[in-house]
Amino acid sequence: MSEPAGADDGLKTSPLHDRHVALGAKFAEFGGWSMPLEYKGGGAVKEHRAVRESVGVFDVSHLGKVVVRGPGAADFVNRCLTNDLDRIAPGQAQYTLCCAEDGGVVDDLIGYLRGDDDVLLIPNAANTAEVARRLSEAGPAGVEVVDRHDDFAVIAVQGPRSDEVLSAAGLPVGHDYMSFVEVERGGVPVVVCRTGYTGERGYELVVPREAAGAVWDALLGAGTGEKPSVVPAGLAARDTLRTEMGYPLHGQDISPSISPVQARLGWAVGWDKPEFWGHEALRAERAAKPARFLRGLVAAGRGIPRPGMNVYVDGEGSVGAVTSGTFSPTRRVGVGLALLDRAVTDGREVAVDVRGRRETFVVTKPPFVTPGSSAS
Amino acid sequence: MVPDDLQYTSEHEWVRVVGGGSTARVGITDYAQDALGDIVYVHLSDVGEDVEAGSPMGELESTKSVSDLFAPVSGRIAAHNDALADSPELCNSDPYGDGWIVEISLSDDSQLDGLLTAEDYQAAIAST
Repeated sequence: MSEPAGADDGLKTSPLHDRHVALGAKFAEFGGWSMPLEYKGGGAVKEHRAVRESVGVFDVSHLGKVVVRGPGAADFVNRCLTNDLDRIAPGQAQYTLCCAEDGGVVDDLIGYLRGDDDVLLIPNAANTAEVARRLSEAGPAGVEVVDRHDDFAVIAVQGPRSDEVLSAAGLPVGHDYMSFVEVERGGVPVVVCRTGYTGERGYELVVPREAAGAVWDALLGAGTGEKPSVVPAGLAARDTLRTEMGYPLHGQDISPSISPVQARLGWAVGWDKPEFWGHEALRAERAAKPARFLRGLVAAGRGIPRPGMNVYVDGEGSVGAVTSGTFSPTRRVGVGLALLDRAVTDGREVAVDVRGRRETFVVTKPPFVTPGSSAS
Repeated sequence: MVPDDLQYTSEHEWVRVVGGGSTARVGITDYAQDALGDIVYVHLSDVGEDVEAGSPMGELESTKSVSDLFAPVSGRIAAHNDALADSPELCNSDPYGDGWIVEISLSDDSQLDGLLTAEDYQAAIAST
């Protein structure tokens, strides 16, 4: 049993911390931040179901916010990160990767293209300083890289009824997936992006620190009366939701030793670009084919996979290891991701060593659930 | 919530004597279920297996983690709570009632004397 992390143990807290305390949240450490894991009266499974069936509101303010601006800022970012910013226009966002020279993943992040001279990056909490450092060192004269980690809250509204909740809170809805709108709300600028980490329809809001409480209150208050029930959802539910979709988590499924080629994230790499960090190593690995690929696992029995567990095929010994795993609240079975030898492809039956027991799983292409299908 | 009529262990299990004194019904405490979070799977040693006080006799899985379930007393596993196979969440919603986990036929009734009283257990969790 892990001890709850408080505000007095050297961890950073969100601008919404007091509200989480008032809601009876349990806290855990995420990348140096004390963030809500689950809420009193909710719990990971209920909060998970709320997102699949109605709507949940997450505080993900621990995510980084790095501004790259100045003449040629977008071109500069495009020479560093893997995805091709030329595929999107100002007002759109993109999933991309920051790789090391050897092709390992320093971080995965969302880039918001505001204009040729202005890009907002949302890295993971634990990697923000490193991403900012690498960009800052490489930046040409006139392009500045500003780490604004503490200046903004990030609030994710996720679930099939997200639009009703945002509308009731006076925020714009209905824009295309992976596009964003910047609006003034109560005199402060709010970025409203059609993004998320749950697979459901939803939005992520970037809100100046001082306005975070008012926006949070408006979103949660939207659940009264005839409107949909809105619950605060913690990071435990966020993890089961993303695992059901097979979305990778940095530090587990992608890492400095697990490349985007191995993780089958080639779609987030601009292979036609002349350069990006790690391009030579990644092109070579892609041509040679890596020894292992990240694949999905679904339990045939009652086993629940956990990171680090070994995976076996009859007669072949170990063929890899689990990188993420949990109980799927939607399917009510164990699901996970594993790095497996190249020959172990979708449809194969494998055994996972679950603390000494051999449990059967089927290698399955994610997602493990169909978003939007749980609404009742 | 620590009912007065049960005995406890420092591993956050409770024991209720049933079957005329020779059988211990075992579950986890309200404190334990709250700390573990939503329990999604309960794995137990088979009925008929011998267990030793203080040794693992099963596992409780939440969405995020796994915790060992320790035998509070020595004896033989007499029954599982079969309802947990489909509804492991009973351990959360009714930890002292329908969420009981196993029954153990006691090898020696006197070992019950070594368990914590409700008052002792309350003091133990208050000091963590």
